[in-house]
Amino acid sequence: MSQDTLQDFAGVWIGKMSELVQTIIGSGPIKYIVNWSRMYALWPVHITTACCSAEFGAMMGPRLDPERFGMQAVAGGLRQCDLLIVEGTVTKKMAKRLKIVYEQMPKPRYVIAMGDCACSGGLFHDSYSIVNDVHKLFPIDVYVPGCPPRPEALLSAIVKLREKIRRQEVFA
Amino acid sequence: MTTEPPSPGISISKTAEPSTLDVSVGPQHPGSGHCRILIRVDGDYIVSADPDIGYVHRGCEKIAEYRNYVSNIPHLERPNIADAIHLNWGYVLPIEELQGVVVPPRGKYISTIAAEMNRIMSHLYGLAIMQGVFSGHTTIFMWAFGDRDLFIELAEMLTGARLTYSFLVPGGPRRDLPFGFEDRLSRLLDYFEKRLVEYDRIFFSNPSVIARAKGIGVLKREDAKKLGVVGPVLRASGVKYDVRKVEPYGAYADLEFDIPTFEEGDSYSRYLIRFEEMKQSVRIIRQALEKIPKGPIARKAPLVAPEGEATGRVESSRGEITYLVMGDNSDKPSRVKIMNGSFRNLIALPFLVRNVHVADMPIIYGSLDYWPVEADR
Repeated sequence: MSQDTLQDFAGVWIGKMSELVQTIIGSGPIKYIVNWSRMYALWPVHITTACCSAEFGAMMGPRLDPERFGMQAVAGGLRQCDLLIVEGTVTKKMAKRLKIVYEQMPKPRYVIAMGDCACSGGLFHDSYSIVNDVHKLFPIDVYVPGCPPRPEALLSAIVKLREKIRRQEVFA
Repeated sequence: MTTEPPSPGISISKTAEPSTLDVSVGPQHPGSGHCRILIRVDGDYIVSADPDIGYVHRGCEKIAEYRNYVSNIPHLERPNIADAIHLNWGYVLPIEELQGVVVPPRGKYISTIAAEMNRIMSHLYGLAIMQGVFSGHTTIFMWAFGDRDLFIELAEMLTGARLTYSFLVPGGPRRDLPFGFEDRLSRLLDYFEKRLVEYDRIFFSNPSVIARAKGIGVLKREDAKKLGVVGPVLRASGVKYDVRKVEPYGAYADLEFDIPTFEEGDSYSRYLIRFEEMKQSVRIIRQALEKIPKGPIARKAPLVAPEGEATGRVESSRGEITYLVMGDNSDKPSRVKIMNGSFRNLIALPFLVRNVHVADMPIIYGSLDYWPVEADR
């Protein structure tokens, strides 16, 4: 048997085995365990794009305490994070950096657009330096309107995102 | 050769001189974000620092030219939502001057109460994040944010919003004090004065905070004057200058308060000055609640401003804010220019972080209480 055919055979075999493993993980109780662990480990990237960060801080504060949902207060490096909260207006200068931050995050990653500006431009929609369509940079899971949204609204968005994660497929 | 994308976090690159390195801090970093500081380090010492701002430039001044006077209020207070009343008031004052509208005394007192409450909230925010988190003190973050929420509740009762009030319009405030507000506020102030003693014990008298902040980033009196810094940073260097005393607006002329100053000009005295200012704010609100007269709260102001230009100055919690408004007989301003405390205080940063350890930079940055959105406008 030549080298090429051996590699082909091995590739097919590994492919079939990994398919089998994926079906086992993706259908059985393991799926629920994986999703459950992802639900309780939402670490947000701390990239403040504009002024909604004040309400993000209030959400992280003692009154609402998101750590009961497994949110680490503020994780330093974005390589450990899986939740990107776009906190407010995205300017053209910041949009490039925001895109890089999103690309550097490990999968699976989720995005919450916080505030009117991140949803659709909001109060500054007619400004010359604003990106109105943040959803063209990356897919957004939950939109939170408000200028700025109340901390309770942001927390309810996180609860909605957890519900989405609970029902998702492991290998999407 | 792999091409890695330039990291928006902390990235390091080599320089021409072999012993130094260029480090780019931000705009994604564990601190406040939306400001990048390019520092050149030699070992553990910072040789030079260059702040790169403009990540939140939203063109407020340009937008103000194609919206009418009242529609401008919401977006002109967004630059600093921790301190919204002061940005709002600075914009309303020159319009009132142009239109020749005089706010009734009760309106002035209500504005003053709201502004001083906002100063306490803003200083608590600074104490929690800029000073607490940056010096690694998580307890004060939780305490100050918890107490800030109590003031926010009362602000919501008075104005109807948590942070962005749009409370003052040309002619006076939008609402009168609601039923039971004075009672709740004075009870809150009693509680807050007790908490200030505890803040002193856990943060300001804490040996670890003193060791990290005392003698770091000294801004001398002469340098402070030359650089043109304003507000608490200027007063921490020993210059007794406060717009509330120099050019009184609102009800400040009737009220008694001191301007706290410190001679040292280091980071620790910049921490302390905000602590002292919170005590003065409590004193001002107490007096205003006692002295508040009865009567109308606002006058009806026209929607059009005559031709001419006027400036308004207010002492915000990050320093003096100056607005220039030019009218041209229409319902839209022809030019609005904003000068604010954050931008003018950031000028001091490159001078303060020279020849200090890298670990001291967050302390100095936090002591300036820099709010990037306000500086970028």
